[in-house]
Amino acid sequence: MDHWQVHGFSSLRIENWDGEFTVFQPESGKTHFLNEMGLQVLIMLGQSPVTLEGLCQKLSEYFTLLPDTQFPEQIARTLQRFEALGLIVRVKESA
Amino acid sequence: MRAGQLSRDAFRVLLTGSGLRVKTGPFNLSIRTRLPQLIDQLYRMYAHYSLMGEAEIAEFHVRVISRCSIRRPFARLIQFEVDGRSPFPPVPAEQALATLEWGINLAIAMRINHLLLFHSAAVERNGHVLLLPAWPGSGKTTLCTALIHRGYRLFSDEFGLMDPQSGAFFPLPRLMPLKNRSIEVIRDYLPEAVLGPEIPGTLKGTVAHVRPPQESIRRTDETAQSRWIVFPKWSTGAALQLEPLPRSEAFLLLASNAFNYELLGETAFNAVTHLVRNCECRKLVYSDFDSVLAALDALTDMPADMN
Repeated sequence: MDHWQVHGFSSLRIENWDGEFTVFQPESGKTHFLNEMGLQVLIMLGQSPVTLEGLCQKLSEYFTLLPDTQFPEQIARTLQRFEALGLIVRVKESA
Repeated sequence: MRAGQLSRDAFRVLLTGSGLRVKTGPFNLSIRTRLPQLIDQLYRMYAHYSLMGEAEIAEFHVRVISRCSIRRPFARLIQFEVDGRSPFPPVPAEQALATLEWGINLAIAMRINHLLLFHSAAVERNGHVLLLPAWPGSGKTTLCTALIHRGYRLFSDEFGLMDPQSGAFFPLPRLMPLKNRSIEVIRDYLPEAVLGPEIPGTLKGTVAHVRPPQESIRRTDETAQSRWIVFPKWSTGAALQLEPLPRSEAFLLLASNAFNYELLGETAFNAVTHLVRNCECRKLVYSDFDSVLAALDALTDMPADMN
């Protein structure tokens, strides 16, 4: 099962704009615009590698979300987008 | 010494010889051309610019030259060159002034990377800069023209030039190209504005340049910090709206319309963050000058703690 983690979390520059966030990634030179959910995804994947299921559980707890069958699909799409942007990488389970 | 203090003949000798060397904001510019019509136009439109000192170095060496075309043997064509390179194809000779001005802007946009370059009009009132960032077609040059004839000092209709370290904005008062209907609108509203010739058939339609006020050119070395960022949009018949804009949105709009944001990387991120955190941000929709001038006067008159 794929695990995910943030690529160089400590180097990210994060600015809070009243609940919306700009994230500067020095490696790519890109600035990303995230909502609270997107930022928490980065923070959680910055702490340690996590699977999709594990991430969904952490997010549900953090945002006190009711069970929603579509939620994992939404988060999976977010992970794919973050991967395409170079913000996160897949890692082997043993990592 | 100002260019307008030269005799017409001395002005022509410079343009056709070693170059007319003028100071435009933080940059020095050397212009050469032998086109009589362009020389006449520049004599009028560049009259207020200071001539550079002998020891000063010009950052940009530009030239407008005649060109022959095998395909169009009877057409009078010209070409713009910057440091010997031609970024544009030849155009009809009547478009020489517009091509020269666009060429200089292009050279600034492509080469200046020690400053953060916002695609924005910038004017100063009460000691602070009002930034008016906008995409082409939003009417920023037209609005800027109205403002600088009603008490605002021109920094630029095209570039917000910001030192990313200090946050200071640099004036770059250059000719301002009105396009199409804006020309008549400004002629009607501001009969005192000095306009260059109407130049039809350009890529942007008919263009006529506004000459910057002498006072703005005289104070070209006076930088200022920005206090207001207003994103303008002209919309036919629209009632005036000047509403707060979330800072997150202002950040995105500013960063995405800067010419060299990505190139400057973290320096630009820090500079835009600092700028947006220290400015009042508004979005503006307008359709008539009287109401927009009153609204912007009120905004820029307000003490800092009441914005």
